Amino acid sequence: MGTTASAYLTGFGRYLPGDPVDNHGIVARLGGDDPVTARIRGMILDQNGIRQRHYALDERGEPTELNEELAVKALRAALDDRGIRPDDLRMLATATTIGDVLVPGFASMVHGRLGGGPMQLLSASGVCASSLQALDAAVGKVKLGEHPRVAVVGSELASRSLRQRRFDGIRAGMDSHFLRWMLSDGAGAVVVEFQPHPSRPSLRVDWVRHVSLAHEHDVCMRAGMDGLEPEVGRTWQDVGIGDAEASGMFVLRQDVSVLDDLAGAGLREFEQLVDIGLVDVSHLDHVVCHYSTNAFRDLAFDGLRKRIPTLDTDRWFSNLETCGNTGAASIFIALEEAWRTGRFSPGETILLAVPESGRFSFAFAHLTVVAPPDQQGAPT
Amino acid sequence: MTTDTAATATTTDAAGAASPAEPAALSERLAEVWAELEERLDRVPILRALAEGTVTIDDYRRLLFNLRQQVVDGSPWISRAASNFDIDHFTLRAAAIKHAEEEHRDYLMLERDYVAIGGSLDELRAGRKNLGSEALSGYMFTYADRPNPVGLLGAMFIIEGLGAKRAAGWAARFQEVLGLADNQVHFMTYHQEADGAHTGDLQAILDSGIIDDAAADEIVRCAQVVARLYALQLEELDR
Repeated sequence: MGTTASAYLTGFGRYLPGDPVDNHGIVARLGGDDPVTARIRGMILDQNGIRQRHYALDERGEPTELNEELAVKALRAALDDRGIRPDDLRMLATATTIGDVLVPGFASMVHGRLGGGPMQLLSASGVCASSLQALDAAVGKVKLGEHPRVAVVGSELASRSLRQRRFDGIRAGMDSHFLRWMLSDGAGAVVVEFQPHPSRPSLRVDWVRHVSLAHEHDVCMRAGMDGLEPEVGRTWQDVGIGDAEASGMFVLRQDVSVLDDLAGAGLREFEQLVDIGLVDVSHLDHVVCHYSTNAFRDLAFDGLRKRIPTLDTDRWFSNLETCGNTGAASIFIALEEAWRTGRFSPGETILLAVPESGRFSFAFAHLTVVAPPDQQGAPT
Repeated sequence: MTTDTAATATTTDAAGAASPAEPAALSERLAEVWAELEERLDRVPILRALAEGTVTIDDYRRLLFNLRQQVVDGSPWISRAASNFDIDHFTLRAAAIKHAEEEHRDYLMLERDYVAIGGSLDELRAGRKNLGSEALSGYMFTYADRPNPVGLLGAMFIIEGLGAKRAAGWAARFQEVLGLADNQVHFMTYHQEADGAHTGDLQAILDSGIIDDAAADEIVRCAQVVARLYALQLEELDR
């Protein structure tokens, strides 16, 4: 095994479109003002605990920006934060659930809009955990010494699938309401480099892990098909677009009955990381966890505390309540805020945790805060 | 060393045309040149910073940038020397041709390392030689223009010696201090192997009995000049 470089997060950025929308402002954008929907919405908002979020929709519910624009704005913020330009990048890894267009890949569109020079691209597609899959690819390339600088962005424009026109005339069960009043738009980005930031602390990426349990679980979160199994000739690409819309295939749905299983499986994956020594619970200082709703916050927090008795709420960070659930963007949006607000000090360690309901997958990353080189001792 | 003696210095394939120099004596004289070079290298700022662990990624980038401007000339001056060995120096001509062929893509490895640590290939290729590189390259080309430039074996002794004995150590230390991947230090690590083979070839020539006293003097003189100019190249980064 040869010698590899290290990978450091040296720049952080996020972009949340428009003004924050509080719980009363949702209806103007997404619709759903009938009494039944209003009652369900109220119930779900009580559960998920989200107080405000952002939509790339104007007050009449019309789109204001493309997903790729959100991504580019978050990337520019991260590059500015690091003090570099798109020309300095050699690779771009993007994560999103649904891009703006069917073809080409999201990363191609983001690169085209961002500019810069020739670079390697990766479009990670999936749901929430695709963020850390993109990060993993970037970190791997940096550690191999193949790229000195890579940008990673998670970006979501879910509101298109949540607007009233998607729901007109379709039977919307809890499987769609749950997501409709939970998801929102935004983008978060990081810069990954083989050297730490020259003059301020950086986050060294110690490892990234991703695991899928799709081999033993049905689909949980989905769009583009009827039911939980895709059928030949019955996906959104096979039936007429009008039929697909009428049967609600463009609505994001989630099988809420298996979410407890998802939380349990996620905790087992975490325990495994502890058991094999990747997470040293006696030296874990912070947890930044993505979860879709506060109902899972307590479940996850209690589960983690079983193995980390010292974990208290001060060491636990999420901005779900103020930034909403932005899917693949959320972990970077949370990390950016935790970083910017000074939660981390050199020497501390951070666990990022991202469960993905799509078809049961989980991603984790372990970070260590490092001081800038001029404040470290010389190696001997 | 005067040009007179240079003109009469010979190593020929026709053994016995001149009395061969004592190989052990030549090796000792070259070892002295080497020891002096090592002392000087210890005082070169970038190498001191490397040893002390205070070297920065910019230092490594500068070093590659500066070396590249001279490394691209390596194969050309060896080729020029090859073309100036007459048929009586067939062994040296053959060795020079082989060596030039082996080295003429080396700079690409350096360029890859430079890009891998974030440098711009366009800027690297648009770079100019520093003061030391100008002197070193100018000397090598001028020397290679002479008929039968046997003294260049002394230049090889220094340059290949640096590759074989020092470059890999520098690479390892840069990796240790700056956390670099193998992919970012190809040029320096490769030279340990390649130049190890070259110094073996060189030693075989020096030991073969085809070097007479005058040629031995030329070889030592050339080694001294190249040692000084190589160190100058490392001292005069970016100037």
